Amino acid sequence: MANNNPPRNARSAAATSSSGRGRFYAVLLAIVVVGAGAIFYLMKSPPAGDNGAQAQAAYAALQRDYAKAGPPQPYVAGNPNAPVVIEEFADFECPVCGSFATVTEPDVRKHIIEPGLAYYKYYDFPLPMHHNTQSASNAAACADEQGKFWQMHDQIFAGQDQWGLNPDGATQVTDNPKSVFMGFAKAVGLNTTQFEQCYDSKKFQSRVNANAAEGFRRNVSQTPTFFVNGKMLLGSQPYDALKKAVDDATAAAASAPASKPASTPAPTSAPAASSPR
Amino acid sequence: MTIAALALIGAFVALYLTMYKMGAIGHLACGLGGCERVNTSKWAVFAGAPVAAWGLAFYIVTFAVALVGTSPALAHRREISYLLAAMSFVGVAFSAWLTYLELYVIEAICKYCVTSAVIVTAIFLVSVADVIMRPSVQTQEPQPLE
Repeated sequence: MANNNPPRNARSAAATSSSGRGRFYAVLLAIVVVGAGAIFYLMKSPPAGDNGAQAQAAYAALQRDYAKAGPPQPYVAGNPNAPVVIEEFADFECPVCGSFATVTEPDVRKHIIEPGLAYYKYYDFPLPMHHNTQSASNAAACADEQGKFWQMHDQIFAGQDQWGLNPDGATQVTDNPKSVFMGFAKAVGLNTTQFEQCYDSKKFQSRVNANAAEGFRRNVSQTPTFFVNGKMLLGSQPYDALKKAVDDATAAAASAPASKPASTPAPTSAPAASSPR
Repeated sequence: MTIAALALIGAFVALYLTMYKMGAIGHLACGLGGCERVNTSKWAVFAGAPVAAWGLAFYIVTFAVALVGTSPALAHRREISYLLAAMSFVGVAFSAWLTYLELYVIEAICKYCVTSAVIVTAIFLVSVADVIMRPSVQTQEPQPLE
């Protein structure tokens, strides 16, 4: 006599029972509801774990252990043999730094850097309250890898409203600025595949850290902070103030020709990939 | 049925990671902080697509096969059990490789990735149990009446 009883096991048992199938579909529906709710809840949760608290902790650790960071690798522009060195410590997400970069810096480049009056060095100094600034520094470093740091620098500062702080000064325009930086990378003509790999892997995080550590070594606590042949100038500077500082430093260097113009205590190794203007 | 339920749970885990990878979610809720490091590493992309998207596709296909396998017409077919066991074996092997990368190469753990690895392992174990416990349906020749 043929075996008409179907085998009973995990997959087939409930399949043969209409009440079992009903329970099965109810379980699946419950999973869909809970799963969708969980994703919605996680999307709304604050980014304390990965961005906020972690950024604060990383900043505190760097501040405490800055001596352990490697030598800084600032981004440079101009004539390295100029008698004056202007050094800027800036945060890409800092609105005042953005204002300096977009309003004042073009004049500084045109009238001070390009004529060879001063050599310019830019150091990352990402502040912990700005959650996207590390990403911006990484994007700029990845652009430098392709020889376009300054073009990216200008895009990042000019487009702060697309990826940085909201007008309230406390919240971010976006939690994930990658797509904005990808757009900037395309706009300045980078190989976007190479840029994305660099950005995703945070390839130059150690360089960003080393530049910030240099700021701690030199007691930088706000952005932007400038050094003109070693003389600290706090906060954003109008063009005239910076020009006067350069002229004073030039005169001082002329009166003491044996002294070295470079002000950095530790030798700053400007990488070959940096793009001097 | 158990496999379909597990695959559906896994699909939501993979969906969450895929949404992050595609830029729809700004950050991953990750108390230990290793999730973004893992999911932005170069190993988070496989064959041109995010690993999370591969995982999502895997879970959707597994769910579909398991769901079809519960239909009365197919519930007694061993081929479905073999297919699920084979698919989940590949999933377990791939998850093992990813977990190795997390522990020894990236040196960061993503709890969602670990959750997915546990789910796919559970699917594999259930599907193997299904293969073992399922008796083969034998077609018997009609016996002549005596």
